[in-house]
Amino acid sequence: MGCYNASLIFSIKSKEGAGSVCKSSPSNVGHMTLYQPDEIFVEHGEEHAPVVQRALSFLPDVPVRVVDKGWERALAAQRERDSFTAGKRRLFFTRQRSPFLEHCPAGTPSLICCNYLVVSLISNCPMDCSYCFLQEYLANNPTLKVFTNVGDLLHEVAVAVNRHPARHFRIGTGELSDSLALDPLLGFSADLVPFFAAQKNVLLELKTKSDCVEGLLPFDPRERVVVSWSITPPAITDTEEHGTASFAGRVDAALRVQKAGYKLGFHFDPLIEYPDWEKGYRDAFTRIFSAVDSRRVAWVSLGSLRLTPSLRATMRRRFPQTRLLSGEQVPCGDGKWRTFQALRVKMYRTLMGWLKEAAPNVPLYMCMETASVWEKVFGRVPACDKEVAHSLTEPNLSLMPPLS
Amino acid sequence: MTQVAEQVARYAQEKRLSVQTLIRWQAWVEEDQRAFLVVAQELQLGENHLRDFLDWLEEIIRRDGGTARNLLARPEVLQPLEAKLGRNDKLKAVKEGLRKLRYPHLCCLEENLREAVKALDLGGRVHISFPPTLEGDEVTIAMKACNVRELTESLSHLQRRLDDGMLQRIFDLLDQE
Repeated sequence: MGCYNASLIFSIKSKEGAGSVCKSSPSNVGHMTLYQPDEIFVEHGEEHAPVVQRALSFLPDVPVRVVDKGWERALAAQRERDSFTAGKRRLFFTRQRSPFLEHCPAGTPSLICCNYLVVSLISNCPMDCSYCFLQEYLANNPTLKVFTNVGDLLHEVAVAVNRHPARHFRIGTGELSDSLALDPLLGFSADLVPFFAAQKNVLLELKTKSDCVEGLLPFDPRERVVVSWSITPPAITDTEEHGTASFAGRVDAALRVQKAGYKLGFHFDPLIEYPDWEKGYRDAFTRIFSAVDSRRVAWVSLGSLRLTPSLRATMRRRFPQTRLLSGEQVPCGDGKWRTFQALRVKMYRTLMGWLKEAAPNVPLYMCMETASVWEKVFGRVPACDKEVAHSLTEPNLSLMPPLS
Repeated sequence: MTQVAEQVARYAQEKRLSVQTLIRWQAWVEEDQRAFLVVAQELQLGENHLRDFLDWLEEIIRRDGGTARNLLARPEVLQPLEAKLGRNDKLKAVKEGLRKLRYPHLCCLEENLREAVKALDLGGRVHISFPPTLEGDEVTIAMKACNVRELTESLSHLQRRLDDGMLQRIFDLLDQE
């Protein structure tokens, strides 16, 4: 194992603009700061992977170490204090040796699910939202990992979607990390978008809280790629979603990708109850739907803030100033704490009402909610998970241009 | 260490509170430490109850502003604290008072449901209960009867309340915030 400077062990030309990757857009919106790890680790044998080469070219001053397979497990055993924060500062390039394609882990037997599939090219996130479930989910394995074998992922997806040509898939990359926050550094969109644009029965969703959309703009998504933003009112964005793009930055980025031909998605998830929630969400909602072309919105989702007891404890420790634990949350059947049912149903109904006014044809769904809440909000319960998935894929897939 | 911090430390030692809990308590300003020490001593709070108090007080302050000493002086807390009750009943009543401040909308809905159930006037053999923290829809209606006459009476009461819409009000309340 050796410690080097990136520019010493790999002969890489520095690219113009490196270090300020989320470039300026036409409007006057502030931009996210590019993620800058403290140290980069590259698994032995992966030094020449294109994603490694690209990242090192953007981070020429960050120390690099070539390490053996399994290095991060040994590191995790050291139990650093607040290792989750430290983990985010370590960027580790390795191979994914397990299958990429998985069912979304949000699927829970007692709750209605949207049959979503996820692929993760990155594990952990450069952002640090106070409520993020990764604090618990990756607590024992927090190093920010990037998988170098993107070709294997594409092959795996191709096999799956070709094996079931009549089935329609929704696949997202934003489960274990933000889909785009590291794109300026890693450039995965250049692999993913052209690949998915050439598929006939699958929609790719890139879910983000960033404004890093530059890498998407050169490609024609051919109606097969939805870029979606997780939305909270600015009062929450600014205080609880550390290291993310501002609300205005997200809307601006959405407009840019819409212009480039991408469909949009908006996730009011987590939906957060706080004293001014109604005004905050109303303003956010108005700003979004007066800016974007709602005919190009693929879907909107709602999902109450949900926290396990252990995540609540972690939040108290890592973010003692958070206000998110002050809502009227109670333990629910799945062990997670949510805003008590009557109030969160009111919130869902309120946002659904606004959506019906602004964009009546946009499919709306809820994440991780009971049949009882679906009944109260929508007046009916989906017969099965496939019905929810169908309601999201069909309106979008039917508009896809044929493959040439 | 200030005098109040020493008193808090002594209390923590006596109750074998965790270091984390002690640190958290001592991080408060002196006036708040002192006000809470009075409550803790009166209720003989151990680690778990004391942590609940710390959680709720801090969460209320973060949401609504104010100070711990002001919250602890609110009638919802002070009245049961000064009432002539045994330790356990007093603890329960004080926690319920603080819960009203921590969960104002939920407690208001619970109170409205209690009043709606009381207004049904179904007698002592019919009991209506709701899911914990009102999470879910199912209302449980339990009837006790020693004979068919008692059962018939209870069913008649219920039927009257169905007919006059007062039972519907219970479900309506559950369906709105």
